[in-house]
Amino acid sequence: MDLEHMKTAWKKEKSFEDKSLTEADIKAFLHKKSRDISRLFSVGLTFDIAYKGIIGLSFLGILLLFSGNQHIILMVAAILLGLICTIIYQWRLIKRVPGTGASDPVIRTTLENKVLFYHEHYIKSLYVGALSNSLIILSGMFYYLYFKYGEIRPFQWDDYLVLAVAIVIGFFVSAIAQRAQFNFQIKQLESCLQEIDEDTITTHTIREQQNKKRQMIRLLLLAIICGLLVLAFLIFR
Amino acid sequence: MKHNRIHQQFLELIHRHQSIIHKVCFIYAKNSSDREDLQQEIILQLWKSYPSFKGDAAFSTWMYRVALNTAINQTRRPGLVVDSTSTPDVPYDPADSYHLSEEIQILYRAISRLRKIEKAVILLWLEERSYEEIAASIGITVKNVSVKLVRTKEKLAEIITKLQ
Repeated sequence: MDLEHMKTAWKKEKSFEDKSLTEADIKAFLHKKSRDISRLFSVGLTFDIAYKGIIGLSFLGILLLFSGNQHIILMVAAILLGLICTIIYQWRLIKRVPGTGASDPVIRTTLENKVLFYHEHYIKSLYVGALSNSLIILSGMFYYLYFKYGEIRPFQWDDYLVLAVAIVIGFFVSAIAQRAQFNFQIKQLESCLQEIDEDTITTHTIREQQNKKRQMIRLLLLAIICGLLVLAFLIFR
Repeated sequence: MKHNRIHQQFLELIHRHQSIIHKVCFIYAKNSSDREDLQQEIILQLWKSYPSFKGDAAFSTWMYRVALNTAINQTRRPGLVVDSTSTPDVPYDPADSYHLSEEIQILYRAISRLRKIEKAVILLWLEERSYEEIAASIGITVKNVSVKLVRTKEKLAEIITKLQ
């Protein structure tokens, strides 16, 4: 098969030269939103910051409702502090989202930046974001108990169980759904990186870092869930 | 005032060099809807990157780099998956606005079976870009370009032979 013949046909092809895109079309495209994964990172982080703001307000409401209960004040204060820290963390992360605008974009560098940002930073943020759902369940429970009983009664073991299950489910449903979506997209970028250079140190390094990060995240999650359960036990016992 | 001038200058340049966008979309998009999405994304990325274009290289060279970078970085969301590597045969969509010769239609069918980086290498080869330029665009060595190009051309020739 003579590919040079195809190359000549390609050079002679006139339909690509048609000016089918008018300046008005180009202008219209400039007003649309990008579907690039970097924008999804930024939108995800911004949405979660706003969500945490709403959760913070709901906990401030709890603080007012239970202003006489020292245990609850302590717990809500700890949660609000945690929320502020995670909001700052995510706010800083937005600025680190690998953007566009490079003067000489290199395909490999762009792919590596996005893949590394996801594995090094965004996954952590997904779990931090998933914690928001657990906090919403916790705050909902406070409001429910307040409006039904006007107080927080001592918890039985089954109350702890129901609360813990609800918190864990809230956390994992969100985390798993978001990870599945992003993993699907990141794998497409990773397959391009592998195609560029299959068995290089760079690819190995990325994989090793991914595995280490995954282990760290699992440990961190376990510690957070245990901490929440111990906190709830200490407060409601 | 200055912004308006830059905006107008950008519109004119894109309008003049739009064949690059058409070619990249032709290689990477699978249907007209895909093509429109990719056109939009390429133009958006070109606009975002335009302030950093210093004019060291020709505008067309820079435009190729941004357009290819955008096409390769495009990802599909779950549920909308049609992986080019697993597609057994991608029929040419006659609804497309390109009125192509038979040879180019065969070339399209063959290229649609290549992987993303292979597509980039072939497109740049069809456009007679130098090995150094291809290497700089993808981020590999010149030697690697030559190996990749030989392999991709062999693969492409094999597919074309099967299609004919």
